[in-house]
This record gives sequence, structure tokens and C-alpha cells, in this order.
Amino acid sequence: MTAPSALTGSNNYFEDFTVGQRMRHARSATVDEVENNYISKQVMNTAQSHWNEEYLAGSPLGDGRLVFGLITGSMTVGLASQDTAENALSELGLNAVRFKKPVHHGDTITAYTEVLETADSPDRDDAGIVRFKHWGRNQHGDVVCELERLVLIKRRSHWTQP
Amino acid sequence: MSSSTPDFDSFPVVVHGHQFEDFPEGREFVHHWGRTITAGDNALFSTATCNWNPMHLNAEFARAHGHLDVVVNPMLVLCTVVGLSVEDLSEIGGPFLGMEDVRFHQPVHPGDTLTASSRVVEARESQTRPHTGIVTWHTEARNQHGERVVEYRRTNLVAKKRPPKGH
Repeated sequence: MTAPSALTGSNNYFEDFTVGQRMRHARSATVDEVENNYISKQVMNTAQSHWNEEYLAGSPLGDGRLVFGLITGSMTVGLASQDTAENALSELGLNAVRFKKPVHHGDTITAYTEVLETADSPDRDDAGIVRFKHWGRNQHGDVVCELERLVLIKRRSHWTQP
Repeated sequence: MSSSTPDFDSFPVVVHGHQFEDFPEGREFVHHWGRTITAGDNALFSTATCNWNPMHLNAEFARAHGHLDVVVNPMLVLCTVVGLSVEDLSEIGGPFLGMEDVRFHQPVHPGDTLTASSRVVEARESQTRPHTGIVTWHTEARNQHGERVVEYRRTNLVAKKRPPKGH
């Protein structure tokens, strides 16, 4: 097969991330039928506010289907994934996950990232740990979600040919 | 009268879910159903959320990193575990506020089956909303081998059953 290192970017290894580095991820995505209505049901989320158009009519959360917060979070991580985890070995965890505003079908999410911390891995010398802060914003510029994310990322020194 | 239209508004709703008074600190819930995560689930979720990472979508790439198959997107694992817990914890309660200390302990591969359970960590009154409390649960999920794959704490606003005195 093609060497793994030929399939992923060359500028997003552990050594490339520096504390304070900021990224605005180039692609935004609109949340609609597949992203919210279907995935909420796919992941067994039985709260009908996510897939019953009539349920929240007239409520303070807004008319129409409310997007499941973790789908907004997953899209924020997804939109940031190429730039932050294309050379990851594993996702270690999340922290300080906050849903700040309701998201509805038709809203468009843009992801922003800041590198909060870089550290050696206690378990392996071929990778390091990066702590990212991510923000998801809607088309009006409002922050709709934010989270911190720990990722174990390959070191170029161990995973690429000189 | 058997052919007449019944009074549908008189049919009792089959209620699913719990409210603030149902969450004394320490109460444990074993959540319903479980879920086998399929290759199709992972491919759909990962592509729909723009997470085209080859670890999730290229089996040969994942095998070259020591896995037997693609690694299921951890965000799908997290969404599924939260989903399995919704009826018990938050279906009729209120908005999802946030999560802390999400830890992915084990990779999940297609064909693995997840089951989830939760414990009430804290339940307190809202200072600003008299009909509402704030509840935090610790949730964990295990695979078919009993290995813990993810754990986290989640906090929601949760509606109370009874209005406060004077209302």
C-alpha cells in the first residue's frame, strides 16, 4: 500500500504546533437533515426536539428542530480535524465543552482553534500531546460552542523519512 | 359508535424520562438498549461531520498503525453514549449545558457494542430559574469485553415536577 506518511499532510506533525498558534479553518459547513435530523437518531438521541419540526414551536429556544449540541461540537472538531489531527495517533479527551447558543437547521458553522499547550507523551517517544481550544461560530458570528481537546500527535522525527 | 373518531386528546401520553426530583445524588442508571457501532455508522458520521481522517476512513491506513480495522471516530462514540443516556437523564429535562473530563480510554472498532451507565454527581437548585434545577451526572460506557471506552461528566438544566409555592 501507499506509505501512510504519503497520505497525510507534512505540516501538521507534533513539532509544527506552538503554544498560542491560531487557526481559522478554511471550510465551513451547514447543518441540515443529515447532520442533525439523521445523526441525532443514528446516535440514539431520543429527545424529539432534535428531529420533530413541531415540538419546539413558539419556545424560547426558537422554532424548528434544535441541533443536538454534540453534533455542533462534532462538526467543529470535524472542520478542524485536518489541520489539527491529520497526523494524530489518537484522540485522548475533551474538556470544558460548552454550548453557548441554540443552533438550528440551515445554520452554518465555522471552526477556530488556538493551541493551548504542547507536551511530551508519558507513554511513547514517537508522539506528543497537544491541547487545543476550539470554537464553533454561526453565520452571524456568534460562538455556539467551545471545547478543549487533547490529541496524541506523531512526531515528524519518528514517522517520516529524512 | 365504534366507527366514530375517538377523542385523541384524551389518550394518555406514555411519558419517557425523568425530572429534577428523580435525581438524588448517588442514584445510578443503567441505560437502555446498547448499540453496536457498524462500519456504516462510522463512515456516515465521519464524512457528515467533515472528519475525513484516514484513521477513521481508510482501513489499510489504520492497520498500518496497529489497528485491526478503522478506528471509530471518538466523537461518534461520545454522541452515541450520550444518546443512550438521553431518555434516563435529559429527554424531558432541559438544555445541555456542557461536559467536563471526557476521557477516551480505548479505541472502538466496527462491530464493537457499547453499553452506558450514569450516576448523579450533583443536583442543585437554579438561582435564577425557580422551576429548574442543575444536575451533573458521571457517565461511562463499556465495550462487549467490559473494557471502559469513554467516561465524562455532563451537566444539564433539568425541569422540576412541581411549581414552587406561590406559583
